[in-house]
Amino acid sequence: MPLIAGVRAGVRAGVLAGLLAGALCQGAWAQDKPDTPPVPPPAVAKDCGEPNVTVTPLPNSALALQKRQQVKILAIGASSAAMLGMGHDGNPPLLEEILERNIKGLDVEIINRSYSGELAEAAGERLKIEVALNHPDLVLWQVGTNDAFAQVPVENFEQSVTNTVRWLKDHDVDVILVGLHYIKQLSKDEHYQAIRASLQRITAAESVLRITRYEAMEVLARTMRENGRPEPRDFGLTEAGYNCMAQYVARAIAVGLFAKPPRPHAAPSPTR
Amino acid sequence: MIRQANAIDFWRGFALVSIFINHIPGIYFERLTHRNLSISDSAELFVFLAGWSLGLLVSSRKAELTAAGLVARLGGRAMTIYAAQILISSIALALLAAAAFAFDNPLILEWHNAAAAFQDPALAHIGLVLLTHQLGYFDILPLYVVLMLAAPLIALIDKFAKPALLPISLLLYFCALVVPFTAPTWPVTGQWFFNPFTWQAIFVLGFALSRDEGIGAVVRRNMRLVQIVALPIVLVTAVLVWFNWFPDPTRLPEPKLLFLNGKSFLTPMRLIQFLALAAVFSGSYAHFAPWVPWLADFLSSLGRNSLNVFCVASLLSLCGQIARYLYTGSLLADTIIVIGGIGLLRLTAWVSEWRDRRTTSA
Repeated sequence: MPLIAGVRAGVRAGVLAGLLAGALCQGAWAQDKPDTPPVPPPAVAKDCGEPNVTVTPLPNSALALQKRQQVKILAIGASSAAMLGMGHDGNPPLLEEILERNIKGLDVEIINRSYSGELAEAAGERLKIEVALNHPDLVLWQVGTNDAFAQVPVENFEQSVTNTVRWLKDHDVDVILVGLHYIKQLSKDEHYQAIRASLQRITAAESVLRITRYEAMEVLARTMRENGRPEPRDFGLTEAGYNCMAQYVARAIAVGLFAKPPRPHAAPSPTR
Repeated sequence: MIRQANAIDFWRGFALVSIFINHIPGIYFERLTHRNLSISDSAELFVFLAGWSLGLLVSSRKAELTAAGLVARLGGRAMTIYAAQILISSIALALLAAAAFAFDNPLILEWHNAAAAFQDPALAHIGLVLLTHQLGYFDILPLYVVLMLAAPLIALIDKFAKPALLPISLLLYFCALVVPFTAPTWPVTGQWFFNPFTWQAIFVLGFALSRDEGIGAVVRRNMRLVQIVALPIVLVTAVLVWFNWFPDPTRLPEPKLLFLNGKSFLTPMRLIQFLALAAVFSGSYAHFAPWVPWLADFLSSLGRNSLNVFCVASLLSLCGQIARYLYTGSLLADTIIVIGGIGLLRLTAWVSEWRDRRTTSA
């Protein structure tokens, strides 16, 4: 046990030190005010591949940071480990540690309400209750995998997720969708891919942030193959894989917190 | 001697079949269970009947059981349920690992909160033993263990301070809703799916209503009036559920848990609707059982062996989920899963009773 704990502590310290060093080298990420121009967000460990995180503002979370120096994050969905990183020995989840170390003065409160096996429709209903009870600024929702395995019709899935995302936006809660996992064996599974495509459509249509878990892992797997390294069978389903996900999420949140909100469409010039 | 089919065993069998089906998310037959027209579902029925059975046990052994005997007997039952929970959790983990290996899909290791058991086994196993780490859909027996551990206390309060039992239970229930508080999970931080501090209320209500004295006697004497009040509640809530006409939970007054529909906290809306449903269907068994004796016998046999059947049902639900994933959830596959599963539940009941008969005759 001491050995395991020691190794874990080493891995955790290494990840955090790497991230911190990366951030410092890139130019002092820590900011006092959220409206400060964005600077490079927390680095993602090299072994995690390159997440394709689009710059999507998280206005409600940015406002919370500005007003209270605190961001309340509600985690919901199938696997909390895959969003928050594995928390060991009473330590807070890795996501919380990364964000607090990289954004000066930020207090992150993570409320984990993940219940495994829940489909998007049921999770959406429960999510509303959790929002009412906990008043989060940001919801991290891992969604899709259970629906894909349970063969939920794509249109039902899309409707459920869209309705919930719109409800969250209407209630001034930011949302980040954590997408499906990459598994080579499922790359030709029609339903799995259809659910994945559906999630892409939702995020594009609703302008919400999606952690492209699948794509990042797919790119990394391909890179490893090309470099002659064996592609792990349980890709990403290790502690290191979960911690990579936490880093992706941390990066996405950091980018979103300091991103400028989109400009409102300019009103057409009056014509005579 | 195996007891005859009766209403309690029948409804418990009904709850077990519903739980088996509802625990296979996405299955076609899920839309035929009563939760599609009811705020409460089979979980409430199961826990209420557990309390009812405790009440019958205490009533029937009133003369012969001392306080120490009661504690020993009920504590023993809690240990049996605890052992069952540990066994089925272990088998479930093995099933997930076997499926992940056999179908070359490591994602299955993430199902049902199992990831921690594979990625952080040392702490997760401590959590499994302490019941602070629960697999998804394997979370009702931990509640049952806690309730049975509390059962001696419930029986003792009933024995020595009967009028205080229900007020104490309801006080705890409302405190847990108003503060609010629940049991935490560990090592994965979170909450128990079934909050034991609120769910104890339905268990105690089952216990109290089963008795021929106190509130149980009052309700029996006025059953017709109770049913007249209950019927509109059942009908109106059926409409609300069908059309999903529930208020936006963020707009409800504080404390919100008193007003919203939440299963984890067994909110008053669910509790009241369940009691109304139970009142409406109370006594119905005597009317329909003579018309469908085979159904009465079938479900009663499941209810008589509820713990064994529940354990097998939980594992069969997991097998059903894996099968649906493999056979892409067609109606044919769903039908085979449900008919095969219910058949195996009946076999479990039969084997349990066959074993009991052999033990008795030996």
